[in-house]
Amino acid sequence: MTLAAALAHAPVAATGEQGFLSPTGVEIAFLLVGLATFGAAVVTVTSKQLVHAALWLVVALGGIAVEYLLLTAEFIAWVQVLIYVGSVVVLLLFGLMLTKAPIGRSPDADSGNRWAALAVAVAAAAALVWVVVDAFRTTWIDLDGPAQGSTRVSGEIIFRHWVLPFEALSVLLLAALVGAIVLSRRNAKDPEGKR
Amino acid sequence: MTASPRPTPSAQQPRSRIPGSGLAKGLAVTLRTMTRKSHTAHYPDAQPALPPRTRGVIGLFEENCTVCMLCARECPDWCIYIDSHKETVPPAAPGGRERSRNVLDRFAIDFALCMYCGICIEVCPFDALFWSPEFEYAETDIRELTHERDKLREWMWTVPAPPALDPRAEEPKEVAAARKAAEKLAAAQEQAGRPPAEGEDA
Amino acid sequence: MNDALDVALRLLVVFAVFLVFPLLIGQTEHKVMAHMQGRVGPMYAGGFHGWAQLVADGVKFAQKEDVVPAGADRRIFQLAPAVALLPYLLVLVAIPIGPGEGAVGQVIDAGIFFVLAVMGVGVLGSLMAGWASANKFSLLGGLRTAAQLLAYELPMLLAAASVAMAAGTVSLVGILDAFEWWWLPWQIVGALVFFVAGLAELQRPPFDMPVADSEIIFGAYTEYTGLRFALFLLAEYAGIVILCGLTAVLFLGGWHGPFGADGLGWVWTLLKTAVLAFIVIWLRVSYPRMREDQLQKLAWTTLVPLALAQIALTGVVKVVIQS
Repeated sequence: MTLAAALAHAPVAATGEQGFLSPTGVEIAFLLVGLATFGAAVVTVTSKQLVHAALWLVVALGGIAVEYLLLTAEFIAWVQVLIYVGSVVVLLLFGLMLTKAPIGRSPDADSGNRWAALAVAVAAAAALVWVVVDAFRTTWIDLDGPAQGSTRVSGEIIFRHWVLPFEALSVLLLAALVGAIVLSRRNAKDPEGKR
Repeated sequence: MTASPRPTPSAQQPRSRIPGSGLAKGLAVTLRTMTRKSHTAHYPDAQPALPPRTRGVIGLFEENCTVCMLCARECPDWCIYIDSHKETVPPAAPGGRERSRNVLDRFAIDFALCMYCGICIEVCPFDALFWSPEFEYAETDIRELTHERDKLREWMWTVPAPPALDPRAEEPKEVAAARKAAEKLAAAQEQAGRPPAEGEDA
Repeated sequence: MNDALDVALRLLVVFAVFLVFPLLIGQTEHKVMAHMQGRVGPMYAGGFHGWAQLVADGVKFAQKEDVVPAGADRRIFQLAPAVALLPYLLVLVAIPIGPGEGAVGQVIDAGIFFVLAVMGVGVLGSLMAGWASANKFSLLGGLRTAAQLLAYELPMLLAAASVAMAAGTVSLVGILDAFEWWWLPWQIVGALVFFVAGLAELQRPPFDMPVADSEIIFGAYTEYTGLRFALFLLAEYAGIVILCGLTAVLFLGGWHGPFGADGLGWVWTLLKTAVLAFIVIWLRVSYPRMREDQLQKLAWTTLVPLALAQIALTGVVKVVIQS
């Protein structure tokens, strides 16, 4: 949600010779998809039906993928669909099915932390928007020229300029993997350990 | 699980050494079957070659039926319906007694209930019920599966002749009795000087 | 105007392929499976060897009542077949069947990722159906679907990544342009892993635990009737088309052939796809269903290591070639 909000603000922030008073078709589409994504995200967190929330999350994540596509970042868009829609949401649904999520409203699907969560979300959104606006103030993606978010460009940027963060992230994932294995292993005393 | 902890050597022996050979064997079996002729019987297009004594349906030889009701009573699921009335027959010889005789009005078998156990055929003392190899009597309505005596009599024509007796076997009692009766009748008619009437066959 | 016509024509062709090919495979399955079991399969519909059996089935499905169970989550229940089917239509757009850009619905830069990502979305349909049916068998089917998808998505991706490494591109058209015949032995392990994982993702036998009819009736599709049920079936067969087409394009060289690759490249693609589809059917007839734990074991202890080994091999050979 925060990411969508941040993205929705990105092109508007950039002014200059492009001028957002006479928007192009792509810009209009970008804004509309951004609004739809935002709406889906809001429904995701407010819906009382757990599985519906997960499915609205699919819509929101798919909307973000469309935004990436509009920004010519094809590779990122498909990876977004592959990882988030194809795997993360499936895992989420898997978990929900295990919890006997009822059809219809879950009366206890509410949290006492509602306001705190809202505060954190708004703060995070504000921080992200501020960072993005600050960083890309005058940048404008040239949609007509060679794609700036193609697989080749993304690969070169990640593995030439951002190798260190990339490796740091992979170490983080490795740590998570090792942690999962350690947690799922039973003690040696219990030979019938579950997988 | 009750499997023995250590498989016997003989059980291990037939397992092949090459991994995956069992999988390949399975594929080979199906592929070989595909190249061979199929076993399907193309029934409505081609009639099945049934053994002559196939137990398809029960036929009624109503001339033999005496309405003794044994079949209806022995039927495990009561699928035989018999109606009859009594008729008095004038005495055979003058001064004799009148005899009463059962006349069959209705004989029907509900093949929706019948389980083809054949008990009725076994118990019939007068050989009025037979197995027929006929099998095409499906109906679109379950009520029409109750077949009446005319249909049952028609099936009688499909009943194959009984197997031949062994050579030099004794003549069956029914045949002997029928033959004697026919001979007697023929002799009587010859005496009366009339042409012989058609004899009955058993 | 000409461009619009071109796009419309391409989409029309893709749509026609999407409707016809699954039926062809379904009919082939009817006949091949029958003959492999010593039967003859459908013989009457359409007159000649039952060629119109699936058309008759479609008419039958269309006539049936569309039942939504009283306790079901109505909207999700009704939406699920579309979610299961549409991704395959989208994927079909990106698969090239011949050389050049004229023989593909739409050239997509990150083709492999597009195809795998969108295929993964199709499984959401089964999950939605399984949950929304308000039926414990459906729910179990949905759970098994999810578990299977999570297990087999990884080896499938890794195997596809190996090809992408070999070709130096993630575009399907680019991979085909870079293809050499010796990739066949080089990538054979990856091809096997990809094909097996794809079968599992489609829930085809012997990986049909999510729809195991002897245990959970028909898994997530238990409560479906009529056209919606037919759409799920169509999705399964469309999935076979996609999987076989993808395997042919990624690992078997697509339109490359020993001869006649200039004008008849598309024939090679179709031929390879058809052979793979035959293998899919063949496997279904030959092997019994695998148990749930065997499925997970095969994925995590066999396919994933094999796929990783293939990636390592690809990397080594690639470096050796380039140096």
